[in-house]
Formats: sequence, structure tokens, C-alpha cells
Amino acid sequence: MTELQARGVVKAYGPTPALRGITLDVAEGEIVAVTGPSGCGKSTLLHCLAGILRPDAGQVFWRGERIDTWSEAARSKLRRTEFGVLFQFGQLVPELTVAENVALPLLLAGTGRRAGRTVATAWLARLGVADLADARPGELSGGQQQRCALARTLVTEPRVIFADEPTGALDTLAGEQVLTQLVRLAREQRTSVVLVTHEPRIAGYADREVVLRDGAVDGAGLGLDLPAAAGSGLGLRATGAPAGEALANAAPAGGAPAGERPAGGAR
Amino acid sequence: MRPGTLGRLALAGTRTDAVRVVLTALSAALAALAGLAALTVLAIPTPPATDDNEVRWSLQYATALLREPGLRGGTAFALLLLALPVLALAGQCARLGAPARDRRLAALRLAGATPGQVTRLAALETGVASLLGTVGGLVVFLVAHELLDRPGADGRLALPTDVLPSPVALAATVLGLPAVAAVATALLLRRVVTTPFGVVRRARRDRPPRPWFALLVPAGVGSFAGYFPLLHWLERHEVQALLPYLPILVAVGGLAALVGTVLAAGWFSYAAGRLLHRLAQGPAALLAARRLAADPWAGSRTFAALLAAVLFGGGAAAFRAHFQARYAAELAEARTFGDVTSAGDTFYLDTIGLVDLAVAAAVTIAAGGLLVALVEGIVARRRAYAALVAQGVPRGVLGRSVAWQALAPAVPAVLLALTVGLLLGRFLSGPVRTGGSGYVCEAAAAICADPAARGPYLRLVEAPERYVMPGVPLEQLALVGAGAVAAVALTVAVGLLFLQASTTVEELRAT
Repeated sequence: MTELQARGVVKAYGPTPALRGITLDVAEGEIVAVTGPSGCGKSTLLHCLAGILRPDAGQVFWRGERIDTWSEAARSKLRRTEFGVLFQFGQLVPELTVAENVALPLLLAGTGRRAGRTVATAWLARLGVADLADARPGELSGGQQQRCALARTLVTEPRVIFADEPTGALDTLAGEQVLTQLVRLAREQRTSVVLVTHEPRIAGYADREVVLRDGAVDGAGLGLDLPAAAGSGLGLRATGAPAGEALANAAPAGGAPAGERPAGGAR
Repeated sequence: MRPGTLGRLALAGTRTDAVRVVLTALSAALAALAGLAALTVLAIPTPPATDDNEVRWSLQYATALLREPGLRGGTAFALLLLALPVLALAGQCARLGAPARDRRLAALRLAGATPGQVTRLAALETGVASLLGTVGGLVVFLVAHELLDRPGADGRLALPTDVLPSPVALAATVLGLPAVAAVATALLLRRVVTTPFGVVRRARRDRPPRPWFALLVPAGVGSFAGYFPLLHWLERHEVQALLPYLPILVAVGGLAALVGTVLAAGWFSYAAGRLLHRLAQGPAALLAARRLAADPWAGSRTFAALLAAVLFGGGAAAFRAHFQARYAAELAEARTFGDVTSAGDTFYLDTIGLVDLAVAAAVTIAAGGLLVALVEGIVARRRAYAALVAQGVPRGVLGRSVAWQALAPAVPAVLLALTVGLLLGRFLSGPVRTGGSGYVCEAAAAICADPAARGPYLRLVEAPERYVMPGVPLEQLALVGAGAVAAVALTVAVGLLFLQASTTVEELRAT
């Protein structure tokens, strides 16, 4: 089942075009990496798909319903209930404890504080950071903060997770831990993930890679992609293969538009 | 670094820096105006005693506050008190856009500036902005001085537009205020270390605020409560030597109550945050509670100025009740003694009207400072707010959180300030005397009007003398309290406009 669809999405910031007619499908439980160089429109695409931004033209569908025409309040509720958003940093409220931060979406949904804390603590335990429940974000390392932010993203059991450079502020080891947990939990719950990154190594966690260049899906591709490690999404990927060789060896994924490759293998 | 380079770098910056400079200049202009007005009142010369004017009044003025030498000191003091909320506003303006300024200063450190040069830059920015303000204030003062120099129908002046402070006093105001502002900035920055890596480390206040300052409040109120009993005791026992020191007791007590109320503002915020956290169920109240408890000093400078104004308002309400009761007693007394035409002396009631006006002005200025504090807080946290909105937190929840944050400490603190002000005013104004004795003329009006003829017709009337404590002026207190809370609510409403702008998705990209 297709969870999310973008059809000809166009977005500009003043005279500067950011997206030039992007078309993209994300299936249920699929992990899609959106990659490309800085300024190519990755984050803008994610914001349009998540309903944070309204596209100037084109349509965005979630489970067949067009959401880009919804009101700000309706899109906000959608993000709160069905979507989860994970950023690079700065998403935990510094004054709240970790448990309160994680429980915040539940409180917004009307859950009581005690019940919210119970659920939040359970999620923190699943991510291995239950002992941090009463700490403040400022007392945590970057990796710990991001795992707590991940717990907050997952606490409402969203159908789609939008992760914008979720490991961008972390060292390699901490980034690996966060990504591993994100992918594992997404697989467990059959949650779709749209993962924006400029690091090929991070994109290697995805089932499929969509490469953007100058606001459009790059038909030439940027590297060699091999079929995803079935079910795990935790494959390894080497970098450095020439672009031409990559294109020549690329195996087209079933139904994927040009510029989209199944990812997750070694290259 | 050359002075020119230092000056250019001090005034460089973003639009927020420009807003800070403008607000600092505006605050300095207002403070200069208050100071110049006070100096002008003090510059009124006291005329020599003559047969027509033994009391040496300056008869060219319409109001007794300027006419009587004994009242001019108090008038000048009241004008200087108006400068207090203005200075609090200036202090709050200095924090506006501070994160961006800190980054700019860090970039200068990276470029090779020493910590001392960075401190001088920040101090110079405040000093130059204040100088622009005080010069502007002087210009406005001089223009107004000329324009308002128009005698009324009775040939008297409403304002002291016929005198000017001495040139030395003018120069001291225009140059002294910026110098004090620059030195204060340098002192405030002494606990700030700007490293080249863009990190500004502050010596954080890790301990929560303590309520010890609040103990000054009962001490101050106690000194006022003891004033009249002590005065009577000293008079009864004829301890004349101590009598001149009683006003000092009152002044110190009043100052203690004021300082206690004002300095307890941070603790109020903290306590309100803790209480709100215990009671809060919704996310808006939870966010506000945690923020208040984590940073109770944010905005407390202007909050303190608001409380000071409310305290004065409470005191003025008590004095108004006293003067109203006294006025009514005087009228009743006049009627008792046959004077049906007496309109009584409304001087004190009129004066209290002026104090109310000053309180309203102080509340308005303090509300301006609160707005600056509120906006600064929102702008500084715009990335976190934008991230919350992106994650689906409704802006309404954030707005309610900001409102909780402002109003939760304001309401109880305003009530306390009103109570303290009322108690101080009541103890100081004391009870109203009614009754007494006087002569009633029991003859025709023509005879009574003739001092030579009315003697045989006069009869001594004695009304029992009583001391009555005026009632609590609930209406007036409610007006002051509601005005202060409404001012806070208004700042929240304006601040929410900035919240809307600060939660756009573009902020997610801001560093």
C-alpha cells in the first residue's frame, strides 16, 4: 500500500526555486533516503511531504487523501498523530525533563501526565535510555539527546517518520546507534521513514535512495546502488565508485521512477 | 584598536541589534526627560520674604506642588521615581537579541579581538545609544520648554517653563546617564566570557532563588505600623531628641518594603513555576511551569519595576481613601459650624490624582519593558518553538504557555505589591480625626458677616473628637491591580505576534 505520494511538487523561496516538480511514492513500511548536495531541496521536500510547508504547485497525498490543501491546524494534527518528525538538533525543550519531553505529544493528545509518563518511560526503556528519564536535555550527550528525541517521535506510534539529518550533529558511533534503533523500530512497527541525509553511509540504511539535484530528482544518480539487504535495511555501503559506473551497474527497482534506486547494499 | 574602528564595530549588527540600539536610546531619552524635569523643579528659585508673601511662595505657578518650596522636593523625587521603570526598561533592552550579539562578539574574538576589547565594544554600543537618547531627550525637553511656556488665564504658569537647570546639571544628565549605562554594561559583562568558538559562558545561577528578600517586606511594613505608636510614646514621655529620626525610620522601612517586593520578583516567578508544575495537567501550563522554574529571572527586572509601580499605586489608593475621608470630615465639620458654602480643600486629592497619573505612566513603561523581555525570550527560543510546531504542537499551545508564563507570577505578585502598598499607605497616613469644637453664629447672615457685630451671637459647639480609620479602597485597588494585570496581558497579546513569526519553518534552518 502506498503511504505517501508526491506529485509534481514545486516550491520556491522568492525567486529561488527549491523543488521543480518532484514525484515520489513511499510504500507502507518503506525506508526512503533522500540524498543530494547541500541546497538541493532535500529538507524542503521533507517539509512539503510532512505538511510543514505547502507546495506552490503539485499535490501531496497521505493514504490517498490530498493533504497539501488541508488547513494548518489539520496538518498540524496530522503531524502530531500520524507523522513523527525528527530533526538534527534543538528539538527537545530544554526546561522539561526527558520523560516530559517524550510525553509531550501524548499530553497534547489529552493523555494525563501520569499515564503519559508511564508510556514515555517505556519508550525510553526500549531505546536503552530509561535511566535518563528525569534528566534535562542539557545534561545529555548529543547521542543521548537524539535517542530521547527518537523516543518522542515514536511515542505516538506514527505511520510515517520524517527524519531530517538525524545524525548530522553526532559522531559516527552515536549516529550508528540512533540509525540502528530508528530502522529497527520502524521495521517492527511497519512505519514508513523518509530520511534526509547527505551522507551515503546513512543512506545505506534505507530501502531506496532518491537523489536530488537542484530541486529535481537526479536522473543520472550519484552512485552505485545494490538491492537492499532484505528486511534488515542495515546493509553496508562503500563509497567512491565513479558515477558513470554506478549508473551502468544500477539495477532498476520495480516501479521506482528515474533517479530512485533501491539502496542498502555495498558499493 | 582605534577608537573609530571600535565605534564602527560597536554599532554594526543585524536588525535586532538596531532595534536594541533604538530601544536603549528611547529609554535613555525618557530617563533624561524625567531627570531634566526633576532638575527644573529643583531649579525654581525661592523668592525673598515680603509683606505680601511671608511664606516665600513662587506665586507665578498655578499648582501648589511648584509654588510651595516645601513641596518641590517631593515633586522632584516623584519625577525621579518615574525614571526607575525607565531604567528597568533600558536594562531589559540590553538583553534584546543577546544571542545574536554574543555570536557577533565571538566572531570578533575569532578575528583576534581581546576579551577586554569585546567588553568595551558592548559597553560602547550601550553608551553611544544612550548618548543619542539623552541628546534627543534634551532636544525634546528644550522644545517643550519653549512651546509650553504659556501662562493661563490667571497669568500663572502650569509648568516651570520660566526656569532651566544650570548648564552643569544639564551636562551631567546628558553625559552622566550614558556613562553610567556604559559602566553598568561593562560590569554586567564581567561574568561573561566570550570565546572565539562562539560560546558565551555565564556564571549560571544554579541554585533556585531564595525568598529571604521577601523578609524585608514585613520588616518595612512593621516600621510603618510602629510609626504612630512610637511617635505618641515619644511625645508622651517627652523624648524630643529622637523625634527627628522618626522620618528616617519611615524612609528606611518604605525602602525595605519596596526593595523586598521588587527583589522577591525572581522568587515569585520560581514559586509560581513550582506551584504551576504541581497543578498543571495540560502541555501549555507544563511548558510555562518548567520555564518559570528554570529561568525565574527572565524579565524579572521589568517585572520588578511593574511591582514597584503597583506598590506605589496601592499606597496612593490608601492615601486617597485617607484624603477623601478627611475631606468628608472637613465638609461635615463646616456644616456643623454653619458654613454651608465651604467646598473644602481638594489640594491633597488633586495631588493624589497626579500620583495616580505617575503610577499609570510607570505601569505603561514597565509593560513596555515586559514586552521587550517577552519578545527577547521568544526570539531566543525560536528554533525550539519552530521545531515544536513542525512536530505538530499547535501554536495555540505555545501561545497559552507564554501567557501562563507571564500571568502566573504576575497575578500573585501584583496582589502582594498592592497589599504592601496599601498597608504602608494606611500606616503612614494614619486615622482621620473627626469632630472638634467651633463657634456657630446664630443670627442673620448680614450680622454674622460683620466681625464687629456677630460676637454676642456666637455659640460654642463641641462635637466629640474621634479617630476613624478610612475604609479599604477596594475599587481603587482593583483598578490599579486590574490595570497592571491588563498591561501584562496586553504585552502577552503583542508578544504572541512575534511567536507567530518565530515559529515559521525557516527558523529550523537558523543557527
